[in-house]
Amino acid sequence: MTTSIGSEPGTGGQGALAGTVQATAAPPRRSAGSALRRQERWAGWLFVLPALAILGVFLVVPIGLAFWVSLTRWDGLSSPFGGGAEFVGLGNYRDLITVDSLTRQNFVTSVRNNFYFVLFTVPLQTALALSLAVLLNNRFLRGRSFFRTAFFFPSITSSIATTLVFLFLFSGGGAVNELLAFLGIDGPNWTADSRGVFHQLLRPFGVDGPPAWAQGQVVNLSWWDWLAGPSITLCVIIALVVWTTSGTFMLMFLAGLQNINEEVLEAAEVDGATGWQRFRLVTLPMLRPTLILVLTLGLISTWQVFDQIYLTGNNPATITPAYLSYSQSFQNSAFGVGAAIAFLLFALIIVLASVQRRLVGTGEED
Amino acid sequence: MAVRTYSPPWRRALGYLALAAFALFFLGPFLIQLATSFKTDADAANNSLSLVPNPVTYGAWERIFGFTDAAGLPFGRWLTNSVIVATFITLGRVVLDSLCGYALARLRFPGRQAVFWSVLGVLAVPGAVLLIPRFLVLKELMLFNSYPGMILPIAADAAGIFIMRQFFLQIPPSMEEAARIDGAGVFRTYWSVILPLARPGLITLTILSFQGSWNEFQMFLVATSDPQYNTLTTGLAKFSSGQLGSGTQYPVTLGAALLSTIPVAIVFFTFQRHFIGGQLSSAVKG
Amino acid sequence: MIRRTRAPLAMLAGAALLLTAACGGSDSGFGDSDDGAAGGATTGVRLSVLIGSSGDAETKAVSDASTAWAGKGGNTVTVTPAKDLTQELTQALSGGTPPDVFYVDASRFAALVKGGALAAYGDDLPNKADFYPNLLESFTAEGKVYCAPKDFSTLALQINTDLWAKAGLTDKDIPTTWEQLETVATRLTTGGVTGLVVGDTLDRLGVFMRQAGGTLLNSDGTAFEADSPQNLAGLEYVQKLARKGVLKFPKQVDAGWGGEALGKGKAAMTIEGNWIVGGVKNDYPNLKYTVVPLPKGAQQATLSFTQCWGVAAKGENRAAAVDLVKYLTSTDQQLAFTEAFGVMPSVRSAAGQFATRFPDQKAFVDGAEYAYGPVSVPGFDQVQKDFDAKVRGLSDGSSQPRAMLEALQKNGTAALQAAN
Repeated sequence: MTTSIGSEPGTGGQGALAGTVQATAAPPRRSAGSALRRQERWAGWLFVLPALAILGVFLVVPIGLAFWVSLTRWDGLSSPFGGGAEFVGLGNYRDLITVDSLTRQNFVTSVRNNFYFVLFTVPLQTALALSLAVLLNNRFLRGRSFFRTAFFFPSITSSIATTLVFLFLFSGGGAVNELLAFLGIDGPNWTADSRGVFHQLLRPFGVDGPPAWAQGQVVNLSWWDWLAGPSITLCVIIALVVWTTSGTFMLMFLAGLQNINEEVLEAAEVDGATGWQRFRLVTLPMLRPTLILVLTLGLISTWQVFDQIYLTGNNPATITPAYLSYSQSFQNSAFGVGAAIAFLLFALIIVLASVQRRLVGTGEED
Repeated sequence: MAVRTYSPPWRRALGYLALAAFALFFLGPFLIQLATSFKTDADAANNSLSLVPNPVTYGAWERIFGFTDAAGLPFGRWLTNSVIVATFITLGRVVLDSLCGYALARLRFPGRQAVFWSVLGVLAVPGAVLLIPRFLVLKELMLFNSYPGMILPIAADAAGIFIMRQFFLQIPPSMEEAARIDGAGVFRTYWSVILPLARPGLITLTILSFQGSWNEFQMFLVATSDPQYNTLTTGLAKFSSGQLGSGTQYPVTLGAALLSTIPVAIVFFTFQRHFIGGQLSSAVKG
Repeated sequence: MIRRTRAPLAMLAGAALLLTAACGGSDSGFGDSDDGAAGGATTGVRLSVLIGSSGDAETKAVSDASTAWAGKGGNTVTVTPAKDLTQELTQALSGGTPPDVFYVDASRFAALVKGGALAAYGDDLPNKADFYPNLLESFTAEGKVYCAPKDFSTLALQINTDLWAKAGLTDKDIPTTWEQLETVATRLTTGGVTGLVVGDTLDRLGVFMRQAGGTLLNSDGTAFEADSPQNLAGLEYVQKLARKGVLKFPKQVDAGWGGEALGKGKAAMTIEGNWIVGGVKNDYPNLKYTVVPLPKGAQQATLSFTQCWGVAAKGENRAAAVDLVKYLTSTDQQLAFTEAFGVMPSVRSAAGQFATRFPDQKAFVDGAEYAYGPVSVPGFDQVQKDFDAKVRGLSDGSSQPRAMLEALQKNGTAALQAAN
């Protein structure tokens, strides 16, 4: 316990990754008498205890259990605690990082897939959300709440339901390919095409396979495979996630836009700035905190993509670390490896979030 | 731009055109989904873009509601499970999160800062990392394949605690002080003064909790294997990727998916204002 | 040590389906079971059965049969088709709440025994001697028969007879060699129809490697021989047809499996096992097709598949579960399954009836004579998945047969080492 009795409560509250936490308001004055104060002391614990117990038992303790399992070679059939599983120390982590094996190949592939997924999804969802917010941020717009509702609606539906719809839209003879056919384009078999997008883009230039320099192997994959880009199937999931998340982020941008002082914009207009200049030089800098929030949330959630991958199937073209952690455990009976992947993913997310925080600041200066 | 009131008509038209195109982009898939659920398998596969089923068939819906005896789509069971689980999780979160949030916002007790920072720390744990850990703890507590196993682990959540704390902080302290001067204890103050004032916050929390638990997938996936505990999400996910021979029964799958969306949609349209406010205040949950 | 089930089912064939009949007395000589004796009541219990179903036809047949059994003893049975049997079973077993009865694939048997998941009830079966010895051997470890073989299947070639006739082909054109297969596949490939559609997995394409004379694991199961010239020849044949566009994989024609492609008229020919009979009967009742033996490469060969009815070692209702299995594996019930979804019975006493009742499935039966079983090494699932993922690339040149086999060799060897 760090808080001494009688100290001013409510001074904490900065923090959280997004950094938008507000500082606590002033506490009640200390006029209520000491009996009441004593009551508060145990009532406080009584109030927080049930929630804390749940978070402790089902969140903190499990992480400890899983860490233990990640140090064993548990096959899921006996009990992992009390001698049921062979203790291998950091063996699972070593296998994933340094030993040339199929396990490492799958892990490395999943990280590559997820990297490309993040690389495309985060900018696209941010740009789309910002555009929608700018379009909607007009007091004289008619049907504003209709449009806002329409854009936001996919965000509240379950990931399973939306994935099923997208898998249908992008099936070989599906709606998307029908649309493309109108334009005279013969669309690929989206949901079953594991070829990398960058490879496909090189095809018209006569690059059909890896050039000599790209055949060298780096950690289980050739340069050619590293540079494949997202697979065509992964593009469907990128489209899906952009579609489902833009609505939420749009709301955040809208809130941010509404905080912008219109006088500043009007002043800029009087000074002869064009619409684009006003957007770039006034609006965008003032949206910086929101932008950082959206990027951070996007980064954290896209590294965890799972539900959509689960439905697309166990395919090296789409697997992500989160999914691999699951499939290693429940499909391959290698719970130790599965748990180790989860911890590596945890570490990766924390590192990326703090690197990003350091690079762009927390956005709290506004 | 926010202040443009005198844009030339062609620009305004362009703006509306863009908005309409986006509306189609966001709602189109739902329309196709609805139309497909009235199509035959062949029609769905061959004319997937068409919004007019030809012929119109209720086959998929009859199967969803169990009027035909084809095996494998116990929609009623999934719906019941979703309702049970979502109800208890929502109830749990509303009660526990608001209690905890209030204590963190207003009550002075030793260790409060530590508790607050722990809650923030928990917020930072990525959900996908918890798949295996949660399975392990349920197994050890013998809660695997049970309703308590599906409900308890997410019957309180750090994001909800955080939202409630923020709401309580916005309530002027003078209100509760008045009650206390009248001699009311902590519990009575909480129950009869604070909670009524925090009604908007409670509504928001209820809605978010309902939406979250109704759409929950990962937790239920690792908490159960027995199909009698399938919810709409896990049931649909397992059904759709299906067994070898069931192939691609799009009308049934999409119809069932649509039906699973409806309760959340109703809540959404009824409480839209709270929904949107809540989405923003929970944005910090990361 | 667990006995691997690598023995080809070849021997099974002759002994079984063709000679068949009265030789019911052969003693398999297994030791007495001690942990097979099951606890629990046999009436008024609730059993759960998890199956890896080939489709609605199989699900319904197993459900109906279980319900019939349940009705007799005042029990209830829930039959669930798994999306992914391995995954759902692992989760249930490790969660400590396994289904009472479940399918066990021959390739997964070793791992499940090692984890102590299976009750060894096989030696208590009253009709144990009636099962084909080779099938029993697939499910035997440490001298104990763990579970009752459910049935078995082999791969054969299915031809859509309408499309066949439309292309001007007759019975005389039915391919018996690789060259002929290529010729007819080319001839049958038109706008919306692909000559041959085959599942993009080692479980189907492996047949061409076998026909070329190759094998994955050597005959005594001690080393992989996946990168042999024979296997390369087999895979290169597949690649050649795929690059010509006369062989495609189901997803390329928007189908979930070969039977769906055949049923929808997108494929003129496909290579599937007995399960296709029930699968297409249910989904495409108007489809006209014929089943013929697979054409020969360097040798005649096909693949066989078998599963058993596993009973959970930790199940509370083992007695009832074993009772259910006895019912499901009885001769009459197996013939009913055969009727419903086409697999071949695992007991010899049903063989004669099968042959006379389903003359059009002769090709499957004949296949047993030259069939090879799956690789059964713990951890091979993952190796195979890696291979399967590259198969699709054969058609566009992004995967090369040699590299695929080299990876198979390397990963297979690693799995073998890890398992020993």
